Amino acid sequence: MRLVGFYIFAAIAALLPVLFPNNYFVTVVGASAGLHVILAVGLNLLIGYTGQISLGHAAFFGMGAYASAIMTTRFGWPGWLAMVAGLLVAGSIAWLFARPILRLRGHYLAMATLGFGIIIHVIMVQAMQWTGGPDGLAGIPPLNLLGWTIEGDEQWYGVIAAAMLLTIWLSLNIVDSRMGRALRAVRGSEFAAQMMGIDTASAKTQVFVISALFAAFAGSLFAHQQAFVSPDSFNLMISVELVTMVVLGGMASTFGAACGAIALTLLHQGLVVFEDYEMLIHGALLMAVMIFMPQGLFVGLSQVARRVWTHFRGRSTQCAESIGK
Amino acid sequence: MGTPHLLTVEGLEQSFGGVMALAGISFQTPENLIYAIIGPNGAGKTTLFNILCGFYQPTAGSLRFNGHELRGLPPHRIAALGVARTFQNLQLFFNMTVLENVMVGGHLRAKTGLLAAALRLSRVRREEQQLRQWAGEALELCELANRAEQPAGALPYGLMKRVEIARALAAKPRLLLLDEPAAGLNDTETMALRDLIQRIRAAGVTVLLVEHHMPLVMSVSDRLLVLDYGSVLAEGAPTDIQADPRVIAAYLGGAVQYAV
Repeated sequence: MRLVGFYIFAAIAALLPVLFPNNYFVTVVGASAGLHVILAVGLNLLIGYTGQISLGHAAFFGMGAYASAIMTTRFGWPGWLAMVAGLLVAGSIAWLFARPILRLRGHYLAMATLGFGIIIHVIMVQAMQWTGGPDGLAGIPPLNLLGWTIEGDEQWYGVIAAAMLLTIWLSLNIVDSRMGRALRAVRGSEFAAQMMGIDTASAKTQVFVISALFAAFAGSLFAHQQAFVSPDSFNLMISVELVTMVVLGGMASTFGAACGAIALTLLHQGLVVFEDYEMLIHGALLMAVMIFMPQGLFVGLSQVARRVWTHFRGRSTQCAESIGK
Repeated sequence: MGTPHLLTVEGLEQSFGGVMALAGISFQTPENLIYAIIGPNGAGKTTLFNILCGFYQPTAGSLRFNGHELRGLPPHRIAALGVARTFQNLQLFFNMTVLENVMVGGHLRAKTGLLAAALRLSRVRREEQQLRQWAGEALELCELANRAEQPAGALPYGLMKRVEIARALAAKPRLLLLDEPAAGLNDTETMALRDLIQRIRAAGVTVLLVEHHMPLVMSVSDRLLVLDYGSVLAEGAPTDIQADPRVIAAYLGGAVQYAV
């Protein structure tokens, strides 16, 4: 019962390439959406459930990507080992910075994470001998897992969809557990959470690390999938976009964050035809969603669906009654 | 009195800038009693609670609870020693259901970490069942079992205050601090609250009660501490307090016609 939504999501992800074989939109845009889902679901644990903002999350995405890129191209490490290294680097940096940063609240926390994201981005641009500077790093070898080399859009779609489902499953498990409730308690009332025996500083540190790990995981996959990384993929705009995905989909809902990530990815693709007007329409749509569905797309649309459903049921019972007469 | 003291407060001082909120108060709370703290607004009652649960660090003095010094400990460590509380202004987790709120109360009685939770190991599932059961018992005691699945924010005010009590009880505390539990309740709810406080004491929990509702205080408490301007004005059984001329002058005024 707890995982009904998860199974539905998994079924859709599995059926899409079957229903639309060799479809660019499914395999390429779908894979990109899948990576965004991993990022948004991880960030949602921090923002949506724990109530702590991060405007620098692209930094951890970048750490995973660059760890994979540097370790495989410069040191010839196997992809999986580079991925583990990326997770360790992002996790340790998150752990080191979490305590000083997460003591801050509200706007101050937003500023600190913003600064953190900018610093990491500057390092990516400036540390030329390691990162290749603004030109980035090319020629990242394909990812090899247990002797299987992932090649082609379909295979990448499959791998990213599986990774996405894994992170959704992890997130659902966390939220509905003692620690998940502790995180939500921090958002509900940090004062009361402390009085209930929750070490809120530690809880915030842990969720920051987990969300960084999700991002680094997505980053490693991204680096191998694209075979190329550059600082542009991890700048401030990307961080802001990740926050937008969480807010747009609906905060404090794993599927909300996932839907927000998918919606924003599709929106970018769909608006490409408008060229110069893309950002204009993009902004207007976001404003409209926030005005008319402040609780987010996922929650908003499920409410609409429920209303339509009860309306429809109401009508059908009326029909049944009138037939009965 | 031969009963051991659960809480011993000595020379407790708290100043905020130049303002002396507590000017060196001392008292002892015997185990398994209902101990009320009364006094006019600004007497220092809530300050005392905030010190007891570690939210404020006192300027001077000591607080011994069950053999442990509380001074200097952060709130979550004090909670781990068996102190739970409710709040004068509601501090419910409005982003959760009633049951989940109360399950947070059981936080310290369980161990699941983030990693084990993420992988949903079988012991995590067992612990979840256990937490659910403990929360169910606390809800039962507070007569909230039929509200378990509702969002905490959807309840009427009186019931929200009860959820806070249930949440604190789910921690299985030895000392429960109730900060104005009757504020905003009607007469029926206040009488039900009195029964609840007595049931809590019967369950073996010592209750420290800050309250303005005099009929409730006088009928439910075993001993009283009267604070005024941050100092102890009087301490004793309800009948003694009601007869104390200093208390009458400072706080109760002329209106001492409550049932004894």
